[in-house]
This record gives sequence, C-alpha cells and structure tokens, in this order.
Amino acid sequence: MLSIAGARAVSVAEALFQQGARAYAEGTYPLAAEAFRESARLEPAAGTLQNLGNAEWQRGRAGHAVLAWEQALWLHPFNAPARNNLAFARRTAYLESPNLRWYEVISTWLPMNAWAWIAGFSFWLSVGMGVLPGVLRWNKASWHQLVAALGLAVFLLSLPAHAGVNTRARLGFILEKDTPLRLTPTAEAQVVTRLAAGEPARLVRERGRYALVRTNRQLGWIERDTLGLLASKP
Amino acid sequence: MVTFFRKPCAVAVGLNRGQGWLLMCGLLAALAGSATAQPNIPGSPFRLAPANQPPRPAVPAAPTPAPTPAPAAVTGAGTFATPPPFHDPLLNLMMAQPKLDVSSPVVASAVFDPPVVRPGEPAFYRVALNALEDTMSWPPAFDAPAGLRLEPRGRGQVFQIAASMMQPRAAFNYHALAQNPGRFTIPEYVIRANGQDVKVPAATLEVRPNPPSTVAPGQILVLDLAQTNLFLGQSVRCAIRLPGQPGGIVQGLTQVKVEGNGLVTDQASAVQRIETRPSGGVPVASYVYEVSVTPLQTGELSVFAQGFAVGNRFGGPIVISGPVTIPGGAPLYTLLDSDPRRIRVRPLPTTGMLPGFTGAVGVYHVGTPVITTNVLRVGEPVRFSVQVRGTDGLARLVAPPPPQIPDWQVFPVAPGAPPPPGVNSPGFTTFNYTLIPMREGRQMTPPIPFCRLDPVTESYVDISIPGLEVTVEPGQAVADLETLAQAARVEEVEEQKLALSGLTGSTGLATGSLVPMQQQAWFPWVQAAPAVLFLGLWSWDRRRRFLEKHPEVIRCRRARRALRRQRRILRQAQQRRDPAAFASAAVSALRIACAPYYPAEPRALVSADILAVMEESERVGPPGAVVRRVFDAYNAREFAEGENGLETVLESAPALEQVLARLEEKL
Repeated sequence: MLSIAGARAVSVAEALFQQGARAYAEGTYPLAAEAFRESARLEPAAGTLQNLGNAEWQRGRAGHAVLAWEQALWLHPFNAPARNNLAFARRTAYLESPNLRWYEVISTWLPMNAWAWIAGFSFWLSVGMGVLPGVLRWNKASWHQLVAALGLAVFLLSLPAHAGVNTRARLGFILEKDTPLRLTPTAEAQVVTRLAAGEPARLVRERGRYALVRTNRQLGWIERDTLGLLASKP
Repeated sequence: MVTFFRKPCAVAVGLNRGQGWLLMCGLLAALAGSATAQPNIPGSPFRLAPANQPPRPAVPAAPTPAPTPAPAAVTGAGTFATPPPFHDPLLNLMMAQPKLDVSSPVVASAVFDPPVVRPGEPAFYRVALNALEDTMSWPPAFDAPAGLRLEPRGRGQVFQIAASMMQPRAAFNYHALAQNPGRFTIPEYVIRANGQDVKVPAATLEVRPNPPSTVAPGQILVLDLAQTNLFLGQSVRCAIRLPGQPGGIVQGLTQVKVEGNGLVTDQASAVQRIETRPSGGVPVASYVYEVSVTPLQTGELSVFAQGFAVGNRFGGPIVISGPVTIPGGAPLYTLLDSDPRRIRVRPLPTTGMLPGFTGAVGVYHVGTPVITTNVLRVGEPVRFSVQVRGTDGLARLVAPPPPQIPDWQVFPVAPGAPPPPGVNSPGFTTFNYTLIPMREGRQMTPPIPFCRLDPVTESYVDISIPGLEVTVEPGQAVADLETLAQAARVEEVEEQKLALSGLTGSTGLATGSLVPMQQQAWFPWVQAAPAVLFLGLWSWDRRRRFLEKHPEVIRCRRARRALRRQRRILRQAQQRRDPAAFASAAVSALRIACAPYYPAEPRALVSADILAVMEESERVGPPGAVVRRVFDAYNAREFAEGENGLETVLESAPALEQVLARLEEKL
C-alpha cells in the first residue's frame, strides 16, 4: 500500500513538474512556482527545487528563490546551475552567503544524506569485519583487519560532516524583504535592523510565533513565518 | 523669504526629483553657511576673521583663478572679508527658480465630466486640488452612490506658474458608469492635504435617456498601440491621441505617461504632432503624442495613458498639419486619461538563441564598422565603432559583450548619456569598443557576435559585427601586458558565468524529505538493525560452540523428535489394530529413546540394552515386562515362522505408552 501511494505521489509530482515547466515557458511565473512547489512538496528533488528557485526569482521573490536553490544544493551539491544561480542572485541583490563552520563546509561536499549512509556503513563494516571472521570461522587474514581499520577511519572522519549536516539543518533564509529583526519576541519590540530577503540566518530557538535567529552579524527575533529553513518542506 | 518644503519637488522646467533634492541640499547648505559663518571653510564664499586677531585679507581657497578680493569692511570688533563674486551655477539656477506655493489655502474641486450622460455612457469624476500630491491622504473614504460604478484611473501632479510662484496642482480621475437613469451624488468629504483638512465639494451626475444636446461628451484620451502581442523587451510605439473639440480646437498635453506595471517608457523617443483625420465623415484635428514603451514583465499587462491638457503650451517642437485652432488663454490643466488596453507579453524563445544576444528584439541593422586607423601597434588601443539602425528601442539596445580571443583585447566603451527629453532619437545608436592588438601582422579585428530576435518569425537572427582588416606593427608593449590581458579575460569569464540559468528538464536527485536522515525518527531503529543482526550472530555462535562441546544435547534433541514421530506411528497402528506395525513401531520407539545412551546405531539395540537404561524397579516390574513382550513379538515376527504374541501385543499399548513417556522424560 505504501509503495503504491509512494508511486502515485511520484507520478503526480512529475506531472506537476511538467506543468510548472510549461507555465514557466509561457511566462506565468506564479503558476509555475506553485506547480514546482507542490511537486517539491510531494517529492523533494534537486531539479524541481532549482526550477522553483528560477520561477520565484522571476516573480521577484528573492528570499524564496535563494531558499529553493540552497535546498537544491542541500540535496545535490553538484548541481552547478543552482550554485550559479545563487551566486548570480547574491551578486544581483547584494546578499551575503551563510558563514559556515569548517565542519559545515565539509558537509557541503556530498548530499545531506550521504554522510549518514557513509557513517553508518563504515561503522557497521568495521564492526562486521571484527565480528564476522570469528563467527563465520573464516581463516584469519590481514585484509579483515585492514577493512575494519579503514571502516573505522572513514567513520571517524565522517563524524564532523555528520555534525555539519545537523547544524546546517537549522540554517535558514529570510523570505520576505525588510524583515524586522527585533530585540524581544514581541510585536512592539525595538527593531534592531531590517533583513533583506535571502539573508542567511541560523535558528537558535523558537518562542511562540517568533524565532531567535543569528545572522552573520546580529542576534535577534523575527517572525517564524519569515524564515525558511533548509531542512523544511518547500 | 524662506519657503519650507515637505519634500523636494521636481519642478516642471526639466528637473527631476533627484535634481530637486540637490537643489534643496544646496539651498540648506548655503543658508546654514550664511547663518553660522564658520571661518575658513574651503570653498565657502563667506570668511570670518576671529576677534582679537589682526585683520587679514581673504584668501581664495581654491587654486583656480579668482577675482581680485575687494577691500575688507570693518565692523565693530570683527573684520569681514568681502566675498568674491559668486559663480556657483547650481546655486544660481536654484536661486532663479520660482518658489513653491505651499502656503496658500488648499481648494478642492470635484466635477463630473460631463454632468449629464445617457445610461451606460461613461463619465469622468475629476478631483483637483492646489496641493502637492505626496501630502495628501488619497484615496479618500467615500462611498460611490448605489447604481454608480466608480473605477480609479489616472492621477498626477503638475506645476503652474501663478504670481511668480509655482503652484502645485494634483488631480485624480475616476471613470464613472451608471446603467440606469437617476441622479448620483457623491457627497462632500474631507481629505488631508498640506497638513490641513480640505473639503472636497459634492458632485452630481445626472443620468437620463435624453441629455441636452449642448452638453459635450467628456474628454478622453485614445491610446493606440502598434502591437499588443509582444515579446519581453520588445519596444512598441504608442500613440496617445487627444481628439480636438468642435471647431477644430486642439489642446496640447504635458506630463504624458503610459501607466501600467511592468512597462518602461522611453521618453527620449517621444514626438508630438497635430494631424487631421476623418472621423464620422468629417475631418477632426487631434493632438498626437507618440512614445515607445518596452515591457519588462511577461503575461497580460494592462496599460492606459494619461496627461494634462495644457491648451497652447506645447513642450518642444511640434508638427502641425491641416487647419487647426489652438486656444489662447491660460490652460486649465485638466488631467485626462484613456481606457485601459491589454498587452500580451510572451517570454523570449529559449531555443535557437545565438551568441551575442543582449535583448535586442525587433528589426535592427548593423552598419559597416569604423576604426580610427587601420595601421596599429601592438599594445596601443584603437577605437572601433559601429552604428546600429532600427525602428524602436534603440535607447535600450545593449552592446554585445566583446569576444575573448588571445590576439586581441576588446573592451566595451560605456555608452554616453541618453539624449535629454524632447530630443528625438536619431534613429541609430553607436556601439564603441576599444581594441588592443596583442600580436603583430596583418589580421582581421575580431568579429563581435550579436543577434536579435525577429518578432515576426519568432527566431533569432545573426547580425554579428564584422571584423576589419588591419595591419599591426610591433609596438612597445610592456612585459606585463599579456598577464594583464589574461587576468582581464578571467574576470570577464567570471562575469559572464553569472546569469540566471534555464530550467532543468528532469526532477533530478530526489529524496523523501529535506530533513536529514539522522534527524528522522526511524533512523535509530535502522541503525539498530545491524546491531541486532550482529548480536544474533554472536549468540548463535556461542550456542554452536556449546553444542560442539556437548553433542549429547543434539542427540537427545534428535531422539526426542524421532521418538515423537514413532509414537504417532505407534498410535496409528494401534488404531488400525495392526499388531505387526504396532510391534515394529514400538521397538523402533524404544530403540530411539535409548540410542543416545549408547555409541551405536538405534537398530543395533536389543531388549537388554533397553532394560539397562531403565531403573531397577522398572526393569523387574511391569515396564520391563512390556519391553520384553514387545521385543518378543517383534523378534517372533521378524525371525520366527508364526506370529507368537502378536495378537496380544496390542493389549500392552497403555503400558508401553507409559514406558515411552518415562524414557522421553529422561532424554
């Protein structure tokens, strides 16, 4: 049942993708953006998110466009058009790139889920190569220990990237232009500054309908709806 | 007298809003400078020598030649130097401007034009005030009378000279339509203008089937578009026509705009004329204002034109053909607008695009390029120009990017300032490039790829700029020239890369969720699966090693299994009343039950072996007797002629079951 439902969702997502592409070609960007968004909601895919970013950019919604392109790279870091579009948007709109820590930079080298697979596989490979020869009564060989050591090394090396993925999941982008950054989570709070659409911000914690975010320079509260997280549904 | 402005305004004499700000800042700076009279401010015309210091002559701050300072005037304790003659043209221009009248009482007028119409015939609700548009709280809070549909349309502001002051005049238009006869009155209401409450008087529209013939229809502009199905970036010519009134009276327009989202108007391309056209069988003179507009947004766009009727005040040259009567007297500055028109704007075709496309949509022709000299030196720049002729959109035509080739460095030259408003476009534009040859010899200048989109065929047409044959002689190029050229190329390539990509044709790498796998609820369980697997393997290995040390455990287990099987066969034989089968199954069951105690095959066991396994009391008691009887019957059947005891062996079934149960317990 689950597989049937999944296959149906994929086929609907594909149909919406094609519908969005047609609308984009006709220049009806709002329609295209909605179709791509719905498709990405059903089946998040790097190509769909890239196209969603293009449609949002054409609509003049820079924040949504930057978020979609970042999500495309989050899924598929080798997506050159999305990377190029991000650079183009940031240069055009004078936006900053997120300040990534060293382990977060490492985590951008591969798709977000690849590190979990690598860590899991290498760890259990290492454990397996330590356990299986004895259990299965294989003749002792040096390559068993070599593979176990390699697996353990890969596991240890992948841990920083694993942590980077975890922290990047709380990275977000401002969706609406001139979003006020407030001192306290209240509507009457003093506005510290106004953030441009597409500015990066890290979610620190949430309180009610406000979110405490840390931008590249400041810390403050914004309305939660105005922040799109990298690891959220499109 | 100082007039304070709420906001710097762009006066009607060719200053835009930015220049208005400059004027304001300059005025304020000058006033502040004169009020505080700070000593020795560079560039300031006023200089103050402090008290208790000997007087000294004024020294011009700038090294530029200055007029001879006048003798100093001494007043009281301070000595003031006579300022040099004042020559700041910007300040002069600012001081020459008439003042803006914002102190007069604001008066509002509101009328329906015409005041009487037929049902279904449009009328115009016009509101005008002598105040700045930006100071008003518009739209006001008033409700249209029931049965009258009001649709907001044009709004604008114009300045008129009155008593050596510029008086602002803001106007707002609504299109009114009533389908049924009646009198529709918009009552008096109050709006804020120039910081004060202003009453807008009531206005009444009468709708009746037979209006008096003396009432002239309301003035309306007519917006003619050469095309309404355009490509993005394709310029189209708009003709905004103000039909003349009876008697051939024609008025001019000022501040003509084509309003609509996603459009840009090229005012440099504007031309105006008065022409006579037949309308309804009679020639009608009309004022026509033509301008090019370019859509910057795809989809359905709604546009309309507006402008102030200014009587005989024509700005710029005008061509008049046919008999025309131009009214005299002061203009009324009535804001007129047109009905909206819809434009369909299509995106550019994505296929077939050629190199060098910079948004040129339309018909353009590239002329023969011109180079300042055809004998060059290596490393010396030379100007390369080419004229592009076309119909529309020349002001916004972007030169194609220079090619990147190793033998030449090509730099685009920034275009000059656009022609000022009112100056017609010359019908061509010039692309200038600076070429620097990097290699000597006879060669061609690099051809520059350029293409345009033909809106008729909807295809891209190559109009590349051809190269010219030149002779390059050895020059005195510095050693780093090549390095600089290479660096410039790299930067250019980086710049070119930054453009919005097209759509991708496939969904690409997909996942179930954008939340990382390690943050999903199921991830720990998935990671626990290998742990469970390895734990199971380890447990299995331990058990296996234990069984290897204790093989009797397996023998007993197998014996129990086989015994249960034989007991089923035994019961079946008993139910069938088959003594031979019963005896055979009973012996087999006894042998299987005792086999684990002997290092022998079960078939090799005899009655004594079975009895040896049993306890002494059982051996001599009924269980032993049952065992012997069963074996006797079995042996008799196997080895004797007759069937001694077979007939009675079935009777010992209950006792045999007990014996077998006891033996099974022992296993």
